[in-house]
Amino acid sequence: MNRLTQPGFQTKDALFVPYMMSGDPTMDASTDIAVALQEAGADALEWGVPFSDPLADGPVIQEAGKRAQKTGGNLPQALAGMKEARKKGLHIPAVLFTYVNPVLTYGVEALIHDMKESGFDGILIPDLPYEESTDWREKFLENGLSLVPLIAPSSQNRTEKISKSADGFLYYVTSLGVTGERTSFSEKIADDIAAIQNFTEVPVLAGFGITTNEHVRHFQSIADGAIVGSAIVKEIGKEEEALLDSRTRADAVKRIKSFVEALISY
Amino acid sequence: MRPQIKFCGMRSKKDVVNACSAGADYLGFIFAPSKRRVRPEDVCEWTAELPQNNRALLTGVFVDEEETTIIQTAKTAGLDIIQCHGNETSVDVHAMKTALSGVQVFKTIHHESGALLRMKEFENAADGFLVDTKTEHSMGGTGTAFDWDAVPEYSEEAKRQGVPIFIAGGITAGNADELLKYHPWGLDISSGIETGDEKDYRKMVTIMKKTANVYAFPDELGRFGDFGGKYVPETLMYALTQLEEAYHTITAEESFKAELQQELKRYAGRPTEITYAGSLTEAYGGAQIYLKREDLLHTGAHKINNALAQGLLAKKMGKTEIIAETGAGQHGVATATMAARFGLSCKVFMGAEDMKRQELNVFRMRLLGAEVLEVQSGGKTLKDATNEAIRHWVANVDTTFYLIGSVVGPHPYPMIVRNFQRVIGDESIRQMEEICGKQPAEAVACVGGGSNAMGMFYPYINSGVRLTGIEAAGKGMDTPDHAATLSKGRKGVLHGALSYLIQDDHGNVFEPYSISAGLDYPGIGPEHAHLRDSGIVNYEAVTDDEAMDALEDLCRLEGILPAIETAHALAYVKRAAKSYSEDDALLVCLSGRGDKDVHTIQQVLGGADK
Ligand SMILES: Cc1ncc(COP(=O)(O)O)c(C=O)c1O
Repeated sequence: MNRLTQPGFQTKDALFVPYMMSGDPTMDASTDIAVALQEAGADALEWGVPFSDPLADGPVIQEAGKRAQKTGGNLPQALAGMKEARKKGLHIPAVLFTYVNPVLTYGVEALIHDMKESGFDGILIPDLPYEESTDWREKFLENGLSLVPLIAPSSQNRTEKISKSADGFLYYVTSLGVTGERTSFSEKIADDIAAIQNFTEVPVLAGFGITTNEHVRHFQSIADGAIVGSAIVKEIGKEEEALLDSRTRADAVKRIKSFVEALISY
Repeated sequence: MRPQIKFCGMRSKKDVVNACSAGADYLGFIFAPSKRRVRPEDVCEWTAELPQNNRALLTGVFVDEEETTIIQTAKTAGLDIIQCHGNETSVDVHAMKTALSGVQVFKTIHHESGALLRMKEFENAADGFLVDTKTEHSMGGTGTAFDWDAVPEYSEEAKRQGVPIFIAGGITAGNADELLKYHPWGLDISSGIETGDEKDYRKMVTIMKKTANVYAFPDELGRFGDFGGKYVPETLMYALTQLEEAYHTITAEESFKAELQQELKRYAGRPTEITYAGSLTEAYGGAQIYLKREDLLHTGAHKINNALAQGLLAKKMGKTEIIAETGAGQHGVATATMAARFGLSCKVFMGAEDMKRQELNVFRMRLLGAEVLEVQSGGKTLKDATNEAIRHWVANVDTTFYLIGSVVGPHPYPMIVRNFQRVIGDESIRQMEEICGKQPAEAVACVGGGSNAMGMFYPYINSGVRLTGIEAAGKGMDTPDHAATLSKGRKGVLHGALSYLIQDDHGNVFEPYSISAGLDYPGIGPEHAHLRDSGIVNYEAVTDDEAMDALEDLCRLEGILPAIETAHALAYVKRAAKSYSEDDALLVCLSGRGDKDVHTIQQVLGGADK
């Protein structure tokens, strides 16, 4: 059992899950932002790890990773940062978002141990498709952590087996391509999501390119919730200077919080 | 896949149980006059307890038998396959197939002149073939082998027809290795697993072990031992499956093979020659040095082999947009060339840094009609160009064909590129035989991603020829400025495959260094990782200085300006030649010519006479 698999998250309607890059621009700022996102209404949090080759990410998140690396961001720091955020009062489920290679380097057993200690509930690895995931999925599951799978519009006949493996929640990739802002989405998404919901009990969250309040509301209505990454990361990026200065940080965090509140308000 | 094994002439329950426990894929029973003849009721009894799933396929051997008898026998014995071993015609075989639905009919072809034509007669009639030694008693089983040089021709014809083919006649544990060099689809063994007149379990096991040693990678998960796989975003998984299926179907088609063969020959200039480097041999001392001249190909390097083949595949798949990554620009130029020739649109992703360093190749690609996209992410070199190409592919997966330039990336790319480059090694085996009457003691190739090396090595694996891949040691192995992935890297995942990687303590991949733009890739093809760890191929590293030195040698002594990448292989030859005697040959893959590098060479050597 982890916070994702609790009824509080599993049965809630219109979930909202933001993504942020840990350590962007500093770990201290990130932990404050995490708590602010919770206050703004986040139901869970995706906690990104800076990596040299973020294959599934667009320019906005690539830049965030670079900013985080400038102040020493990496996987051990991301783990330590979550521990700190929990101390500051973060109580919503937290998902570590990292690529395969940092996990290999860290060692999956050591990572599982340290994720639990830091207060993580699940992990999302965008370059670990179903076929390569069996070993790790079992290990995470045995330790009460969810390995969140992704399904794309191009998954076709792979949808069923992936859906059935889902734990925590399922990430439906709303558009072909990398993370980043979009202006339009394909019509067939609603049908795809409905099909997935038939195969799995866990919430199906839609993400990739969701940018506006209208998008959020739309995806909260056709799926179990929406994930927003680049749009928020971009706001954080705009506040880089203010976040780096201890005198102006609190106000900058407040502005980010207001942005998110507006993004998800009805 | 390892060769399939058929143990023939089973005569007791014990034989059946032993053959199955040894791991036979097919069991053969003789229903024709022979000392090994058995009764259908007995076969039914002996095989009754075999597991129903995945059990060995039961084959009945008949010689010019009445159709009704065959049908009755097949039913009673529970046969999966009828093997017609006599003078049956394609009409007989066809009729039998119709009468026996659910049972396959194989035809035995006796090795003699006209045998290939005879195989063709059975196209669309026979479900499979068996080629046996021609003997007076048509039952074979006399323990004589035919000339196995003919095996590849038979295999090729069976592959063309899309059916299995067994090689039979005189195969024993003693000569199986010899036959396995010809990569037969299957082996049919009868007298070779007998001692006296009895089947011998130990001989069965020995044969099975020999075939298990056969190099058969990647496996169905796209793994070379631990390495390889498909570590890509879910969005691409369907495209990779589609590509793999299309690859297998399309490349088996006669029209594809003919068209590719034609392009490689008339457009690119294959086969490439093997040149004896007499002066270099004399200067280095020891082994006779031979050069496989990929530098003579159109566009000046082996990269065109792969670009033409993948381009043709893309065309047959109905894809109109080609994307590629390039570092030095060689693969980009080869791809742009192919796209111009085949009328496809072409985008080449290239790091901003590389575009500055390789201005001329950027111009060449644009002249050929390709769009060159400047990559600003990461370190702005090949690694980032590859990331960007993959990102573009994710977003345009329906229309776009990603043409990877080396044996890297997610499965099936490492396999596809290797198979499209193996022409280098296949030709070399033939040509060395012609020129020297024997194969080299050692074959050498430089390794960036590893495509020219895999092309040269793959056909030589398990042949006894020592194989050596050369990495770039840059400014030295004890400096941080190198690209020696295998020697210095750690296991990791980059660009969709698990291999060795140059990376920091947190799994961040960093830019390697080499004077040659084609060797400074932080990863290496997963198959090389496997070949190194399993000890099948040796890997060494040579420095910038050694490479430049060897480059000058080849210019002055043989009048050939090699690419700086290639010069790394030559530098190793300079080191290693002395350890051989004059009776040994050393074969180097001369992967490309150095025209593209003149600018760099001039900077390093100062352009002055020494
Ligand atoms: C002439 C030549 N040789 C070798 C290479 C290295 O590639 P690979 O290891 O895939 O053969 C390159 C790459 O650009 C090249 O241009």
